[in-house]
Amino acid sequence: MLTSPLFLEIVLFPGLLSIAIIGALLGWLERKVTARVQLRIGPLYASPAGGILQMFADLIKLSFKELFVPENSDAFFFIMAPTTGLVLGAALVGLIPFAPGLQIANIEVGLPAFLAIITLSPTLILLAGWSANSKFPFIGGLRALFQQTAYEIPLWLSALGVIMMAGTMNLAQIVNAQTSGWFILPQALGAFIFLVTSVAEMERLPFDLPEAESEIMMGWQAEYPGVLFLAAQGPGFVKLYAFSALFSVMFLGGFLGPSFLPPLFWMLLKTLIVIVLIMLLRSTFPRVRLDQLLRAGWTTLLTLAIFNIGITYFLVVGFPTL
Amino acid sequence: MEPLSSFFAVSVILLGIGIYGLTTKRNAIRILFSVELIYNAANLNIIAFARLRNPPIVTGQVLVLFTIALAAMEAAVGLSIIILVSRLNADIDLSKLSKLKG
Amino acid sequence: MFLAFAAVTIGAAILAIEARDLVYGASALGIAFLGVAGLFFVLDAAYVGWFQIAVYIGAVVVLILFTVMLVGPKKGETPLGLKRVSLLAAMLVSLLLGMTGALANATAFPGPDSCGSGCDLSLFSTSLLKNYGVPLEFMSLVMAAAVIGALALSKTDRGQ
Repeated sequence: MLTSPLFLEIVLFPGLLSIAIIGALLGWLERKVTARVQLRIGPLYASPAGGILQMFADLIKLSFKELFVPENSDAFFFIMAPTTGLVLGAALVGLIPFAPGLQIANIEVGLPAFLAIITLSPTLILLAGWSANSKFPFIGGLRALFQQTAYEIPLWLSALGVIMMAGTMNLAQIVNAQTSGWFILPQALGAFIFLVTSVAEMERLPFDLPEAESEIMMGWQAEYPGVLFLAAQGPGFVKLYAFSALFSVMFLGGFLGPSFLPPLFWMLLKTLIVIVLIMLLRSTFPRVRLDQLLRAGWTTLLTLAIFNIGITYFLVVGFPTL
Repeated sequence: MEPLSSFFAVSVILLGIGIYGLTTKRNAIRILFSVELIYNAANLNIIAFARLRNPPIVTGQVLVLFTIALAAMEAAVGLSIIILVSRLNADIDLSKLSKLKG
Repeated sequence: MFLAFAAVTIGAAILAIEARDLVYGASALGIAFLGVAGLFFVLDAAYVGWFQIAVYIGAVVVLILFTVMLVGPKKGETPLGLKRVSLLAAMLVSLLLGMTGALANATAFPGPDSCGSGCDLSLFSTSLLKNYGVPLEFMSLVMAAAVIGALALSKTDRGQ
C-alpha cells in the first residue's frame, strides 16, 4: 500500500510534500522577482544559491514563535479557518492533471469542482476575520467577502467558454481537446477575464484589499501568531500554484508540447510562466479602491464574460448561413 | 450500496429537524436555517427517487438544480428583509414584530 | 461512506438549530449542506453535488454569516420560555418521523444499481437545455426579479 501509485501521488507529487516545497519556493521567487523589478537584490544569504532557502528559514523562525490565541477571540474559528484553508488549497492541486495519468482525482466534473472549492474561501476568511474580534481583521474579512463573491461570477462565466470549446468539464479531456490548437487564441477574452478574476480570488495585488498592508495592516491575518500566520499565508501561495496550473491546463494546452521532453516538464514550465506573469502584475500595478473593484467586477467583467460566451457560441456552432 | 430507504430516512430526519426549528424558534435567521434544511431534505429526496429506476431519471437532477437556485434567491431576498427589519426594529425576534397588527 | 455523510448531515443540522451562537449555527448549517452534497455524490449526482457546494456554502452560508455579523449575533436570542411548546413540537416531529419510517419500511425500495451510462453528464445537460430550456429561462427571469427585489429592499436612503 505504501508504494501504490495513488499513495505516492498523494504524498509526494503532485500531492502534499511537493505542494509544501513549491509553496515555499514560490514565496522566495515572489520576493526575488519583486526585488528585481524594484532594482533590489532580495533574499541573498539563506543558501549559496541566491537565498533559495529563505522561506524555509522563515518557516523555522515562525514555528519557534509563541503560539497564542488573542484574548476575547473565538478560539475555534480562529484556528479552524486557516487550517481548513490549507486543506482546501491542497485539494485544488489534486484536481490538476500534470501529465497523462499523473492526476490524483480525475473526475468528470473537474472544472466545476475546482471552482466550487474556490467559492468556499470567502466563508473561511470572513470567519477568520470575525473570530479575531478586532477591527482590522473584521474589515479585511468583509472586504474579502465583497471582493470574492463579486468576482466568482465572471470567473465561472469565463470558464464556461473553455467548456463550450472542449465539450467536456474533465480537465484531462480539456487538455486533450487542445491538440490542434491552444484555447488561448480563440478564448483570448476569456483567458484575460479568467486571469484578472483569479488574481482577485487569490487576493494578490492589485486586488489585495482584504490584506492591504498599508491600509488595514494585513487585514484578516493581522492577529495571527507564529505557525498560524504561516497557515494563514500558505493558502495564498498554494492557490497561486493551483490557479496557474489551471490556467495552463485551460488555455495553454497543459502538458501538451514537443515530445523531446516529458509532458510534466511542459506543464511545469507553463505553470511557472503564468506564476511569474502574475507576480509581475503585483509589482506593476497599484492597488485598486474597493468601489473601483466592485464596479469593475459587477459591470465590466460580467458584461465581457457574457460577451465572450456569445463569441464562443459563434466559434463552436459557426455563423448561421443567412 | 445502501438501499434507497436509508436516503429517504436521512431526508425525513432533516425535514423533522427543519419543522422542529420552524415551530420552536422565534429568531428570523434561525427560521431561515430551518427553511433551508427543509429545502435540502426535499432535494435529497428528489435525487434519491430519481435513482429508483435504472437508468436513472435525469429530470430529478434538473429539478434539484432549479430548486438549489430558487433556494439561493429565497435566501438573498429573505436576508435582505431581515437586514431591513433589524434596521427598523433593532430586533429580529419575529414574535415581537407586531407593528402591522390591526 | 453513506453512514459518515448521513451522520455529519444530521448532527450538523441539529447543531445548526440548537447552537447558542448564531455564527456557530450558520457554520454548522454549512457543514450540513456539505453532508447533503456528499450524499449527492454517493447517489452519482456529482454535478448537482458540486453545484450544491458552490451555491449553498459559497453563496447562501456566506450571506447568512454576513447578515448575522451585521445584525449582531447576540440579538434576537430571547428564549421565550417555550419549553412546553418545544417538547410538543419534538414529540409531534418524532411521531411524524416514526410514521414515515414505518411506511418506508413497509415499501421495499430496491437499492440503486451502479448506473453506468445512465449517469452520464451529457445526458443531464441535454435534458437540461433541450427539454427544460423554457423553465431554465423562466428561472433566470425569477432570479433577476429576486436580485432587483433584494437590491430595492436593502437600499438605504442616503440623501435624507
